[in-house]
This record gives sequence, structure tokens and C-alpha cells, in this order.
Amino acid sequence: MMPLDHPEARTAAASALANTLLAHFAAAGYPRCEPPILQPASVFLDLSGEDIRHRLFLASDASGAEHCLRPEFTIPISRVYLASAGAGRPAGYSYCGPIFRYRPNASGEFVQAGVESFGRKDRAAADAEVLTLTLEAAAAAGHDALMVRIGDAGLFAALLEGLDLPPVWSRRIAREHAKGLPLDAILASPTNGSTNDHSGVLAALAGTDKRGARALVEDVLSIAGISSVGGRTAAEIAERFLEQATASSSGGVPGEARALLERYLRIAGNPDETSAELRTLAKDAQINCTQTLDEFDARLGFIAARGIDLLALTFSAEFARNLDYYTGFVFEARHQGRSGDHPVIGGGRYDRLLRLLGAREDIPAVGASIWLDRLSGPESGVLQ
Amino acid sequence: MSRSNGSGAPLVLAVPSKGRLQDNAAAFFARAGLDVVRGRGVRDYRGTLKGLHNVEIAFLSAAEITTQLAAGSIHMGITGEDLVRETIADADERVELLAPLGFGNANVVVAVPRAWIDVRNMADLEDVASAFRVKRGQRMRVATKYVNLTRRFFAANDISDYRIVESLGATEGAPAAGQAELIVDITTTGATLEANALKVLDDGVILRSEANLVASLSAEWSQTARESARLILSRIAAEEEARTTREVRTRLEADEQAIGEEATRLFDARLRGRGRAGLIVLTCAKERVPHLADWLIDRGAENITVGQLDYVFSAKNGLYDKLARRLA
Repeated sequence: MMPLDHPEARTAAASALANTLLAHFAAAGYPRCEPPILQPASVFLDLSGEDIRHRLFLASDASGAEHCLRPEFTIPISRVYLASAGAGRPAGYSYCGPIFRYRPNASGEFVQAGVESFGRKDRAAADAEVLTLTLEAAAAAGHDALMVRIGDAGLFAALLEGLDLPPVWSRRIAREHAKGLPLDAILASPTNGSTNDHSGVLAALAGTDKRGARALVEDVLSIAGISSVGGRTAAEIAERFLEQATASSSGGVPGEARALLERYLRIAGNPDETSAELRTLAKDAQINCTQTLDEFDARLGFIAARGIDLLALTFSAEFARNLDYYTGFVFEARHQGRSGDHPVIGGGRYDRLLRLLGAREDIPAVGASIWLDRLSGPESGVLQ
Repeated sequence: MSRSNGSGAPLVLAVPSKGRLQDNAAAFFARAGLDVVRGRGVRDYRGTLKGLHNVEIAFLSAAEITTQLAAGSIHMGITGEDLVRETIADADERVELLAPLGFGNANVVVAVPRAWIDVRNMADLEDVASAFRVKRGQRMRVATKYVNLTRRFFAANDISDYRIVESLGATEGAPAAGQAELIVDITTTGATLEANALKVLDDGVILRSEANLVASLSAEWSQTARESARLILSRIAAEEEARTTREVRTRLEADEQAIGEEATRLFDARLRGRGRAGLIVLTCAKERVPHLADWLIDRGAENITVGQLDYVFSAKNGLYDKLARRLA
């Protein structure tokens, strides 16, 4: 793998663009951070899943450890922050440089610029700042007519929790929704294990508690002469049987819950109106997500206060970015009239990521990236 | 092995250099009347085919054969379909599987601990994997050397909550050693899995693999190389045809042409020749010979002799045609 065509080595225009963006971020209190291009591969595979593997440029060193060229900035910068003396306290970083994602028959090198904000407890204000900062930076570079779509992964999670679905379904809907699958498709897939005939076990478990179920599983295993359980405990196996026993007796996702999910996912439009709709829905469904809704409104307030016309934003309940580490506010911006293109800017809140990277507790975090090639190019179309 | 192009570059045919696969491959070519001659000794990695000029034999590991087929540095080779599907990203674009060879059979399977009595199929696994991640904050680990096959198969089954742990040997021991929760591995009889308290999921067979004769589509196919390929494939096809069919001879007082046509329709037999005094010669798939014989007796045949042939060469060479179509 050849290193690397830095933006500095590219055309003067690209370099000027990078400087404009970085200067804008630095002036707002986000100094530049330059994390290593070579990163441990396992971090990305752990957090993004094996699906990303075929997009990574992988290399192993003499000891056999697997490295990759960074496929994005958020995780590398989070690691820099966690290793710094200020970890846990508020800090902001900006970046601009190449990232690497394989695609067939085309260059796998892209340039991204953006910001990451860590440790701020005033989440709504931080969300608004990251959104407006990247939009302003794009405007400073001469691209001020972007259309912005916003969403909220926290609202969907709160709704899902409030519906009290069988855990099998709850997990599946959360995961597939994050991938962008429509509800119909998610609910159409067969219930896990429903084709299996565990009816004997399930009947034996009817009415038992966790301890009883575990004892039963242990008995079954010992009768079969199986000692090593391997990875999962007898208690975990028992718990899944119990889940299935309830899931099969209650018959999947109840119609009422499904109707509420559908109603929620249809909500779309200008932010203030949709906010009112969301409150009505929460009330009808008797789901307590006042805190999430208050934060939603506060965020809109901060965005408006920073001089963005809220009517230029569109809220969409079904909007999810294709990465399940987002926990709250998410947004994407595109060129006007090009809703089919890949986004020029994308970002969101990822409050759980830093703990997964080794922090002792959750640290609030929000960030956004600008794809420089998509910003300036006409339709850089197939980029991704 | 880059060589000058032009019409003269010889065909490079790679055969496995080790173990059972090597013996089976040599036997396969020998059956087709093609003797692989290894230069000077077992440590020589080049050889020839007796009686066929313009063919160079390369002795390589099956893994190496696969990568060189993809790269186009050899023309044809014998390797397992598992390796082809695992190693070559767009296998059907870059190589042609000319013929399965009937040896080196093994399945690439998903196997989980037998103690997972609640997990029988991939749908169960999807559920367990996602619960595992939610509860433990970590992804379930899959030990395998088949990284790409695993990734494609899991994606097709909507499983995303897992991590691959690359394992280059004794994969079946990974769950017991605590290095992974489950495995994707190759198995022939399942005995090794059983010994390690693992079970294959009901729909967990990713690939039924066997050794294949594989052609590279990106190699430089000189006229000489094509001609050599045609000769080799024609002998292989002739041997296969001979091995799977029998020659049936009898005498009948009937219209041979009509008998031939009806035998073709009923038994997929072929009229090969006619002689004096009503002699007819047919060929027919081995397992259908008794039915054909009964039918001929019904039509008035007194005696029927059935013989085994060494080779059945035909002007039409299906194996080579397959290759020629892809190279066109």
C-alpha cells in the first residue's frame, strides 16, 4: 500500500479548501488533531462489525498484529482523547486528511474534515454547535445551499423500550432499524427459533422462574453427558428458553405496538411541527420520554439561536445512520435537489462509544464529517 | 512466472504438491492417460506430462494454486472449491471451474458447542449473537480461516453481531480453549467436530466442496496453450465418458435406425455403429445398462454383451468448449 497522497500534495484548490475548513474549526475552539493513519484493525472490527472488513485496507506486522489504514476519524480521535490527560473533561478536536475505504475499480482514498466534541454535559447545545459549525464551514467554503435532514436515535430507543416487546423483537428491531431497514421488512422475517420444535422444553419451563429454568437446562446437559458449555453459561441458555416461551405465547409483536411504531416512523416534516406530533404520540402510547423530547426541543432552540432557519431542516423519524453506535441526534446534509446522493456532511451523537473504547464510564460525545470530494465535486456520485 | 507472450508460450498446469490431494490428482491424470512426470526427484517443483509437449507442470500447494489462478500466472490447476470461493473475491469472473473431480470432498460448516441445546439453525444463531452483544457488550467470536466465506454466509443470514478470530490450525479446539464461541471450518466426516463437542447447525453448510479442475481466465492463453488445453481436456472427457458408460452389443432383426432413436429417447443411449447381420452397437450410462438390456431382449435380441471401454473420444469436447466460451 502506497503512502499517501496528502491533501497538501493535491491541487492548490483542495489545499485552500482544507485550510478554510480547519481555520473555521480552530477559531471555534476545535484545534486540529492528526491521529495516526495506521490503526489497530480490531478496534474498527469490534465496533463496526465484520461487514466493514472487506472495506478496510488491512496489513499485518511482523508479530502478526493486524493493522488498517484509518477508514474514518471518529474512532482514532476518540482514542487520542482517551489517551490524553484531559480525558473525561470537555474537549474539542478538528481534523482534515485522508481516510481509506476499499471500493472495487476506484480509488479507495477520500478526504474528510470535521469536528468531534467530547465530555460536554450540555448535550443539546453541543449537538447544535457541531451541526452549525460544519454547515458554516461548508458555507465559508462556498457551499451554503445544503439541505439538512435530522433524526434522533434516542427517541426511537425510548419508544422501543416503552413498548415492552419480547426481547427477541426489541433487539432485532433496534439493530435492523439502525441499518436502515423498513419496519415491514423487519417484522416480516420469521421469529427466531419459531421453526424449532423446542415445545417439550418450553412446556416444561412454563411458569418456572430463572433459577428453575437454569436447573432444568443443567439437568438436560448432564443427562446428555455434555459438560463444557463453551462461551455461554447454562443460565444464558435457560434465559433464552424463557424468552422464547414468552415470545411464543405472546405471538411476536402485538398489533398495537406495531401500529405505534408505524405511526412514529411516518412522522416527518419541519422540526417544530414534528415535535408536537412526537409529544402527542408519546402521550397516546403512555410512554415516558419527556426528557428526550425536552432535549429535542432544546436542541432546536440552540440551532435557531445560532442563526439557522429551522424551516431549512427536515426531521425524519425513520432516518437512521448506518452505524449502530449513534445514541441520539443524527443528521446529514446534501446538495439541494440531490436527495439521492451520498451525504456531503454526516454526523451524530455517540455517547456509548468511549466506554466501548475503554473509558470507565459513558462520556458524552458528538461529531460530524464533511466529505471534501463530495462538497466540491459536482456529483461525486458513487463515492462512499 | 511471466513469460513472453506470442503464440508459443506453453500451458502451465498446476497440481497439488503434497499429500492425498497430490496422489488423487496424479491418479486422476493417469486414468486419462496423462502421466505426470516429476523432474529428477520429489523436491523438484517442475514436471511434464508424458507424451504431451508444450505443457509445463507446476507443483504447488493448493492455496498457492488458487492465488496463481486468480493472478493469471498459471493456466489451469487442481484445487478445492473452498479455496477458490474463499480466496478469490469475484471467483466466477476470474476463473472457470471446469470439472469437479470426485475427490477431496469436504464441507465448510458452521459449528457451535453441543451444549447450546437451544441453537439448531442460523436463525437461532442470529438471535443468540445479538443477545450476546447486548448482554456482554462484546461480539460473539467465530474462529475460522474462511474469513470471506464466513462473512458472506453470515451476511446472507442477517447475522452482524460477531467477530472473526482468524485461526490457521486446530480451529475446532478454539471454543474449548476460550478463544471463540463458535467456528466455521472444513469437515469431511464430522468426527473431529464431535470429538470437540461441537455440532453443525441444520442449515449451517456453507459450501460442499471438492477438488476441481480450474482454469484461469486472466492468464495469457497463447495458441499453444489453448491447443494443449484442448488435448488434455479431450483426454479427460474421453476417460470420463468411458468410465461412466458401457458399450452394449447385440443382433436384432429390426430397423437399426428406429431402435437407436428409441433407445436414445428411453435410456439416453447412443447408437455407435451397425454391422452385418443386424449387429448394433450402443453406448449407455453404466447404471441404465440392465434396463436397456431388458428392453432389447423384449425387442427380440438373443444375446447382449456389455463391455467396458478405455476411452470414448468425441469430436465435440464439452470441457474444452466450456473453457473456449469463457476465453472468447
